[in-house]
Amino acid sequence: MDLAATPSRSKSKPRSSPAKPVAAPAESRMDLCTPSKPTPRRKSKSTASPAPMSPATRSTVRHSRRLLETPTKAAPEVQVKATPTPTSRGKRAAPSPKTPAQREPKRQKRHPRKRAYYWKVVYDGGEFEVGDDVYVKRREAAESDAEDPEEEECRVCFRTGGGVMVECDACLGGFHLRCVRPPLRRVPEGDWACPYCEVERAGKVAERPRPPEGKRIKRTAREKLLSSDLWAARIESLWREPDGTFWAKVRWYIIPEETAAGRQPHNLRRELYRTNDLGDIEMETILRHCSVMSPKDFRDANDGDDVFYCEYEYDIHWHNFKRLVDIDDELETKEDPNDKPYNAGDDYNSDTDEDSEYDEEEESTSSFSARRNQSHGLAANSRKGRIYGLQKIGIRKIPEHVRCHQKTELEKAKATLLLATLPKSLPCRDKEMEEISIFVKDAICNDQCLGRCLYIHGVPGTGKTMSALAVMRRLRSEFDSGTLRPYCFIEINGLKLASPENIYKVVYEQLSGHRVGWKKALHYLTEHFSGGTKIGKQANQPIILLIDELDLLLTRNQSVLYNILDWPTKPNSNLVVIGIANTMDLPEKLLPRISSRMGIQRLCFGPYSYRQLQEIITSRLKGIDAFEEQAIEFASRKVAAMSGDARRALEICRRAAEFADYRVKQSRQSAQSTASANKGDGVVCMGDIEAAIQEVFQAPHIQVMKNCPKFGKVILVALVHELYKSGLGEVMFDKLATTVSSWCHANRELVPGYDTLVKICCKLGESKIILCEEGSKHKLQKLQLNYPSDDVTFALKESPDLPWLSKYL
Amino acid sequence: MVAAVSVPSQAQTVLRGRLCDPAFVHSALRSSPDTNYSKLKYLVASSVSEACNNSVLLLGPRGCGKAAVVDMVLDDLRKEHPDAISVEIARQLCLEHQLSFSKMASSDDNTEFMIDMLQECGLAHKTILFVLEEFDLFAQGKQRLLYSLLDAMQSLTSQAVVIGVSCRLDADQLLEKRVRSRFSHRKLLFISPSLDDIQWLVEHLLILAKDSGLPAKYITDYNSRLTSIFSDKKFKGCLNSLMDADATTSNILRFLFRAVSYMDMESGFPSIESFLKALSSMQRQPKMDSLQDLSILELYILVCMHRLEDKEQSSYNFTSIMKEYRSIQDAYKTSDKYASTVCFRAFEHLLDRELISFGDNRGRNQALEYRPVKLLISSRELAQSLKLNTTCPVVLQKLFDRERYM
Repeated sequence: MDLAATPSRSKSKPRSSPAKPVAAPAESRMDLCTPSKPTPRRKSKSTASPAPMSPATRSTVRHSRRLLETPTKAAPEVQVKATPTPTSRGKRAAPSPKTPAQREPKRQKRHPRKRAYYWKVVYDGGEFEVGDDVYVKRREAAESDAEDPEEEECRVCFRTGGGVMVECDACLGGFHLRCVRPPLRRVPEGDWACPYCEVERAGKVAERPRPPEGKRIKRTAREKLLSSDLWAARIESLWREPDGTFWAKVRWYIIPEETAAGRQPHNLRRELYRTNDLGDIEMETILRHCSVMSPKDFRDANDGDDVFYCEYEYDIHWHNFKRLVDIDDELETKEDPNDKPYNAGDDYNSDTDEDSEYDEEEESTSSFSARRNQSHGLAANSRKGRIYGLQKIGIRKIPEHVRCHQKTELEKAKATLLLATLPKSLPCRDKEMEEISIFVKDAICNDQCLGRCLYIHGVPGTGKTMSALAVMRRLRSEFDSGTLRPYCFIEINGLKLASPENIYKVVYEQLSGHRVGWKKALHYLTEHFSGGTKIGKQANQPIILLIDELDLLLTRNQSVLYNILDWPTKPNSNLVVIGIANTMDLPEKLLPRISSRMGIQRLCFGPYSYRQLQEIITSRLKGIDAFEEQAIEFASRKVAAMSGDARRALEICRRAAEFADYRVKQSRQSAQSTASANKGDGVVCMGDIEAAIQEVFQAPHIQVMKNCPKFGKVILVALVHELYKSGLGEVMFDKLATTVSSWCHANRELVPGYDTLVKICCKLGESKIILCEEGSKHKLQKLQLNYPSDDVTFALKESPDLPWLSKYL
Repeated sequence: MVAAVSVPSQAQTVLRGRLCDPAFVHSALRSSPDTNYSKLKYLVASSVSEACNNSVLLLGPRGCGKAAVVDMVLDDLRKEHPDAISVEIARQLCLEHQLSFSKMASSDDNTEFMIDMLQECGLAHKTILFVLEEFDLFAQGKQRLLYSLLDAMQSLTSQAVVIGVSCRLDADQLLEKRVRSRFSHRKLLFISPSLDDIQWLVEHLLILAKDSGLPAKYITDYNSRLTSIFSDKKFKGCLNSLMDADATTSNILRFLFRAVSYMDMESGFPSIESFLKALSSMQRQPKMDSLQDLSILELYILVCMHRLEDKEQSSYNFTSIMKEYRSIQDAYKTSDKYASTVCFRAFEHLLDRELISFGDNRGRNQALEYRPVKLLISSRELAQSLKLNTTCPVVLQKLFDRERYM
């Protein structure tokens, strides 16, 4: 995936690679989708269109003109006026992006370091910025491209303007509200299909209104794109060649027809796929802006014609799809600390309208652009050098069920109750979060940041880590808005370290980006914090170190904890340590010299009370009518009484929702003919919660005991009997077997052989109902009951096949 | 004639094939909604289609068909979602970890790789199923693997199901509290089937269907014989005594397999005898059998050891046994007097058969004669075998009995 980092290599890749091999299936499908346009036209044009002017001569003419206008170097602003008129541009063949791309490497060799990069370029009257989505011209000399209607014509009256238009979700044609039969009052909610499409959907042939004689249907850029006459791309970087031409590196978008899988039934009309294919094109070929949006934005944006939907990335080499990660989310989690100062420093540059110019030689910028590209291209695996062919993972065809599934209330409830879902708000922890945030802010804002340490403790599932991370997120947004000093945040989980000493390595890697052994890392870090040579570029920033599962950093001489907690006490260390662990008295268990460094400021996360749990669950389920009020209360009371673990409460509710969902689905299957759907059926009731709690809290041993084979039961009762008689903790097999056989004898049962008994004992031992030594010890095997003897009594009090057993209990 | 012989053997092959095919054995589970099979299938299928994470624990004694059910569920789901599921078996996972462990840097690299992998697969709408068999063994030590696995599953993008299979009923109690808090506490309990279920299972397995490719006449004959056997009291008693010891499905299957193998090839039809024979072969008592085969001298040694134990001599070795043996021989003047080297051979033989064993593991370099030994068979078993042994001298019987009832 280093395509983005090294431009020369990506150039040699011909752009046509994704389009060519799939051209045939795409076309055959396109007949169905866009009946208004004869498809073969496109093919003949794209292959057999001679460029009227040789591109080489044309470009030289152009760039010489531009050189006059722009100062060569250090120009803060590059304004390129729109020189050619639209008509002349139409006649003059726009160069296909392919040809200059092949010529390019030669030029680069001649002037190796004269490229100038820009954030933003004003070109032909349009303002193009890195990260923008644009239309790119594809065909050469297409006469119809000349007019570029911004506004669409009504499909009935063939006039533009004049009232509100509504778009059909099936054919994407625009209609005046008044032109539709019957006329519409206002724009309908939800999906709307035009009358013609509805007729066609019903299987009949619809007579679409023809345009008046002499008037051609003007196609908008959107239509051209969807019928593959245009390309869409995202600008990844902009630069000016030494000869003055403006170039852009773009990431192509692809329409569903051009993928290997073809258009799939669940594809939306405006859907595009982002590819991992990059290409260099001249700015000349860029037409204008469009906007490609993530599903969420797409839903919100309801107007404009140049809006497209993009949810997946398409791998052109492997021909498979992958969901795109939410970009915002990505930036937040992936951004390395050494990115921050750069961003912060350059904000003023890109905010203003002038173009910042920078050289590629500069180390930080190139690393930045590489990182930027990488974070888009790789999305998931951010660590360098550890890719392992992960990009091969991907799905050939996007399964239909993920796209077309309408969620029921219960399923929605299940989804929101997932532990993984980050809730919008974190109720019930306001006080604690406030405290953490005050602590961190104090530490950061003080100029001579005194090293400090906070110890957070509480039982599992009380939201310790979540609160801490939420505070950090909030601080980050504060930092972004400029009210906070820059800082550096490192998060470490003690259980994810291979050994406690590795923490030095991890911290050092986060600070400097280099990997060293832990001893060396310790040396550097100690030097860093005691005021010697600093690591990294932003040495003076305060560092916030969040250590989850702190108790796992305990070594025998506790040196790791001592070192980490000793750093904050050094002057000028600028280090804040937040430790999270379960045990309340961890500081007291440690050596006094450590507890004196750690135990001063503590924050306790008490287990949630039932009211809080109830609030948490209801806040998650807001707007979803799937749970009975009492059911939630019952679950939260039950969990609060046991542990106060929010994870568990959520899991119980989810499990209960699963039970309800299962029940509903079963009854729907069985009662399809009767069709007497109960209204209250789709709601989680007390019974479901009860069942879920049963599953979580009840140990299964009683049921297993009840289902033991007959001799197993006898053995268990005999064991209880013998243990009671002897008063000891364990009993020898010899004694037990004698008892069992005498009982069997007395009650006219078949007397089992000793070997059978040994076998049964070992089986019981395997499921840990009893604890036993290995069977080869035979007579000398020692047996012990693993559960209280009352459980045995309870389970075997009345067993139908052995009525005599109860008298020995 | 040739055809007549081949029909029963064909039938035998069909039956054996059925018995060894877990999908056929458990096929009854597919129909009813309350079985573990449909519950598990629902769980996995919903987490595939709704793109969420789940973890479930399958508990139950060995031989109840836990792994078989998992396999069936996986097979079915693979048919439904052809490329949405990739199955990761615990062994592979370990292998992967181990492999990178030795080659590359550290385990946190590997966990990170795992998390990346999970995320990538989640983005590609692929669900990863981790089947951890013998789950309790993963819950040893610091449980770093489980923790990182379950923690990785707490992110939205990943899409994974962890299925733990264990025969320890307290497997979830073994988890550390922070790991347990991340585990989603779904438990499915597998228990051994009831008598009715087993009777149904036996019929389901043994009765031949009309379309099994055998002559129709043979099938009707065979089935009528079989039904008469099933209604036989002896057969019911046979099943009962089998279930008294072990009522798991795998045990029943083993029994039926033997019964089918014992089928009389002359007549070509199953008989009650073959079932009885199979039962007796299931209920063998290896200790008793090996006691039957012992020589007189070896029995003498055992009786001597028993006498020593009765004298409350807690620790004894070969030399003290020899002393006892000599005193007996002196008192009764039997013909079974052997040199001590011969006795030592017999003693070693008993050790090899594990009828006696050394008392402790210490003193390995000590000479065998001086290491303390212990009797591994109970006096009851010894008495029984002496009674059954026809060649056993009366003196020996008396010796054993006398000190027993004195």
